[in-house]
Amino acid sequence: MMGVPTLKTLSRPQTHVVRWHVVAVLACLLLTAGAYPLAGRLDHANIIMAYLLVVTVIALLLGRNPAVTAAVASVLLFDFFFVEPRFSFAVEDAQYLITFGVMLAVALVIGALTARLRRDADGANAREMQSRDLYGLARDLAGALTVESVAELVADFTRQHFAARAVLFLPEQAGGLKPVAASGAPPIDDAVPGWVYGKGGALPFVDRHSGESALALPLVVAGRTRGVLVVATPERDFPVNSMQRPLLDAVATLAGIVVERLHYVDVAREATVQAESERLRNSLLSAVSHDLRTPLTVLVGRADALANARPALPAAQVETAAVIRDEALRLSRMVNNLLEMARLQSGRVVLRKEWQPLEDVVLTSIREVESGLESGRGVTIELPADLPLVEFDAVLIERVLTNLVDNAARHGRGAIRVAARVLGSTIEVDVTDEGPGIAPGTEESVFRMFEQGSEGSHRGGRGVGLAICKAIVEAHGGRMAARSNASGGACFTFSLPLGRPPLPDSSEGGLPAVARKS
Amino acid sequence: MNDRDTVLVVEDEPQIRRFVRSTLEESEFRVIEAATANEGLHAAAQQRPTLLLLDLGLPDRDGVELIRELRQWSNVPIIILSARSSEAEKIVALDAGADDYLTKPFGVGELLARVRAAARRAGRAAGDSSAIVKFGDVSVNHLSHAIERKGSIVHLTPLEYRLLVLLIRSEGKVLTHRQMLREIWGPEHVESSPYLRVYVGNLRRKLEADPARPRHILTETGIGYRFVR
Repeated sequence: MMGVPTLKTLSRPQTHVVRWHVVAVLACLLLTAGAYPLAGRLDHANIIMAYLLVVTVIALLLGRNPAVTAAVASVLLFDFFFVEPRFSFAVEDAQYLITFGVMLAVALVIGALTARLRRDADGANAREMQSRDLYGLARDLAGALTVESVAELVADFTRQHFAARAVLFLPEQAGGLKPVAASGAPPIDDAVPGWVYGKGGALPFVDRHSGESALALPLVVAGRTRGVLVVATPERDFPVNSMQRPLLDAVATLAGIVVERLHYVDVAREATVQAESERLRNSLLSAVSHDLRTPLTVLVGRADALANARPALPAAQVETAAVIRDEALRLSRMVNNLLEMARLQSGRVVLRKEWQPLEDVVLTSIREVESGLESGRGVTIELPADLPLVEFDAVLIERVLTNLVDNAARHGRGAIRVAARVLGSTIEVDVTDEGPGIAPGTEESVFRMFEQGSEGSHRGGRGVGLAICKAIVEAHGGRMAARSNASGGACFTFSLPLGRPPLPDSSEGGLPAVARKS
Repeated sequence: MNDRDTVLVVEDEPQIRRFVRSTLEESEFRVIEAATANEGLHAAAQQRPTLLLLDLGLPDRDGVELIRELRQWSNVPIIILSARSSEAEKIVALDAGADDYLTKPFGVGELLARVRAAARRAGRAAGDSSAIVKFGDVSVNHLSHAIERKGSIVHLTPLEYRLLVLLIRSEGKVLTHRQMLREIWGPEHVESSPYLRVYVGNLRRKLEADPARPRHILTETGIGYRFVR
């Protein structure tokens, strides 16, 4: 009648309650009918034994309450059909009252014990099955390689054990939750899963779209919520009893562990890909840099050799050679700028910051550009003598200054002026010229790559030079700006944050011990 | 140059080798070429060049490795040829024992100036150096530790004096921050470069005609300093 107990039957033991009681009474009537013809020949004790047997069987098969019914029915039937006066509940011999009492008590005790035994056995069976099925699920999940297969395995499990469908919600990179591969099935509103994902506690709800009753369980692994499992069934009230919740929780935990594992597999793979592409980019950069520099070196060297040839070439040829050399040098600077920009844009530039005076790099940067200036144009430097030490990457800030002075030389006119001053907690450096200035409205765009200068300027694009300046200054935590001077020329300003230099004062007393040698 | 100085060029790019050779030969140097580090090592051992021009990006071995090996048995001046924006590489090579560097692309003038300075240094190392060194309008007397500028005494602190002596001794050579700090303050202070910069600034103020545009104590950005007469 009951067969192997499944979670499903166990989950609704009270459904046929009236029928079981009728069956119990019928069983007792059947026994009465069988024993009645033998009433004269059988001892009452044996008939009572037969009734107790029926109660035991009922308890075994149908549980405690039908057994109670059977016990009461047995006493009544025995009294009615077998005890004098027959066909009456009246009793002649008062001793039979004791018989009835003992019979009822024995029937009730036997029934209760048997039923409990049965229930325990069923429970053990069910638990064993749960464990076996959970183990099976764990084994299958361990082999899962995608979140889709995790979702599928969990859905299969809930379909089998709860007659319910399961949808796995996982967080997206952009934020928010997304159901995994719920193809064909009606969608589930993600508001409740979203709430559960944020708060981390399970929540029963009725789905807005499908009207199903559902339970949302967070997938919590090691204190972190990895996603949400929603189990939904069309039946009106979702069965969440004490037997099932631990099972569902175990399923959620298992799914969470696997989702976490897959997440870390993804993270590891991503890191590998990123490292690989970084390596590729670097080797590409150094290959390009080498391949461009070699011909440029030869070009610059040979042109320079021509310009300096002994005996001297005619003036026109010397000039041509000098132009070739200068343009090759400019090309080389552009290549350097491009490579530098590629490096800066990769976001992996490590600044070699050191505390140093600004004037050092101002001087070296000017030395580089000054020789190429048209005659009559000079660079004036206005640095206060008491400028504090600043922490910066000398090579990169020198590049900024070189580019700014070079920009002023090529796009501006007149004298170039480099000035610096302390302004609050920053140091500000201006590079100004006396040229046409910055066209209004282009103060921002001049820092974009390959942006042209003011209209009518046919002196070449600004290339990447200014874009690099901005990138370098911003990498130092400073700011870069362009504007036109009151007198008309262009003024490029960059600022660097001032910190506390590690030198309290420059007197010899503040120095570490000197290693005496002689 | 009594008998001609020999320059060993270790560079894997034949075009650059050829340009360097023709430039140096025009200026009366003898040139030996090597395309790989191993060839370079052999040539350095057998032909005893006056100085080495060494490209750091060689196909068979790291140029820095070659410098370290060479420095075990030779003091021959080494000028490295290196690309821009690889200051870290230059510093490693200079710390390993290279004397100077040329950044590609370089002109004839630069190349000859560096090679001549290195050749002079190599020649001078053999002879004894004078006790009195003069540069600009400064004269330094190593015996009396007296420094004069335009005839009047310049007072230097002991540290400044030792820094100056180190610079003069390494004339023409590039000194990295690290090398100078180790030499003056000792190996435990090789990271305290702000001290060094402050002292170099002091020296310039006391000795340079225009401290804002120094002509003798030169900055090599991101690398160190160089002293020239």
